[in-house]
Amino acid sequence: MKSLLSALVLTTALTLPGLAMARPVTLTTKLTNYGGDGAYLAFYVTDSKGAYVGSLWMAGGKSKYYQHLIDWYRATGGNTAQVNGITGASVGAGRTLNVTLDLADALFDAGYTLHIDAAVENMRESPNEISVPLTQGGAGKATSGRRYIQSFTYKM
Amino acid sequence: MTKTLALLMAATALTAAVGFPAWSSMRIPAAVGHEIQSGDQADRSQQNLPLTRVSDDDDDRGFFVSNRWLRWGDDDDDDHGHRSASSGRYADDDHGRRHGHDDDDDDDCYGRNCGAANPAPAGSVAPPSNGLFGDGAAPKVQVN
Repeated sequence: MKSLLSALVLTTALTLPGLAMARPVTLTTKLTNYGGDGAYLAFYVTDSKGAYVGSLWMAGGKSKYYQHLIDWYRATGGNTAQVNGITGASVGAGRTLNVTLDLADALFDAGYTLHIDAAVENMRESPNEISVPLTQGGAGKATSGRRYIQSFTYKM
Repeated sequence: MTKTLALLMAATALTAAVGFPAWSSMRIPAAVGHEIQSGDQADRSQQNLPLTRVSDDDDDRGFFVSNRWLRWGDDDDDDHGHRSASSGRYADDDHGRRHGHDDDDDDDCYGRNCGAANPAPAGSVAPPSNGLFGDGAAPKVQVN
C-alpha cells in the first residue's frame, strides 16, 4: 500500500509539470476583402536572434505554392516535414481563421516572435505580413497586417 | 483565197498572243530561282539537306520550356512558355500569372519545389517535434 502511494505521488509529480508546460493558444487571423482566391498563410516562430525555430500552422495544402511564402520558404527550403500535422486549407478573402494549438509555455516572454507570410494567386506575395512578439501581455491585442490580413490576435 | 489567208493570219496571231506568255511563265530565269527539277534530281539533292526539326505545335518558339528541352511529341498543349513572374516556373496557359496557379489545377509543377509531397493534414499525424508544441490536444481549426 505504501509503495503504491509512493508510485502515485511520483507519477503525479512527473505528470503535473508536463501539463503545466503547455497550454491551448488560439490564433485568430481575419483577412481583408482583397478580392482574390484563397490565401496561403505560413505561421512560424523565430528566436531573439531572428533564426527560424519552427512552424505553427500552414494554411494551404499544396506544397508547390509554398515558394510564394517567401520568408518561410527561405528558412525551411520548403521542407513539408516542417508543417506535417499542422496544415489546413487556404483561407478565403474576408474569412476568419481560428486555429487552437497546444503550445509550450516556454514560447512566451522568451524573445520569440511569431511571423505570418501570405500569398494569393495572381496577387503580390506578402512575406512577414505579421510580426508579433510572443508575450503573455500581448495576448488579446490585435495586430494589423499590410496587405491581406486585416487583424491578427492570439489568446491564451 | 484572200479570205482564207486572212483567217490563217488572225488565228496565228491569236495563238501567238495567248501562247507566248503562257510558255514564258513556265521558265523561271536562273537569277530569280531554281528551275523545276526532275524527280530524280530532287531526290538526289534531298539527300544532302540537313535534318530539320518539325513540330505540329508551332508555338514553342524558345524550345527551352520547363527547364528541359522539349522532346519529340512532348508538347501538344499550346503552352506558350510563359514564366511566372516570381516563381520561375512555366505553366500551361496561365500567361505568367503571379502565383503560378493553373486553371486546370493539374498538379504539374516545374519550380524548385516540384516533386515535394504535400504535407500531412492536421489531425492525421502529430505536429512536428520542434519544441513549440506540447504533447496535448491536436490542433483545432475553424474558418468563419
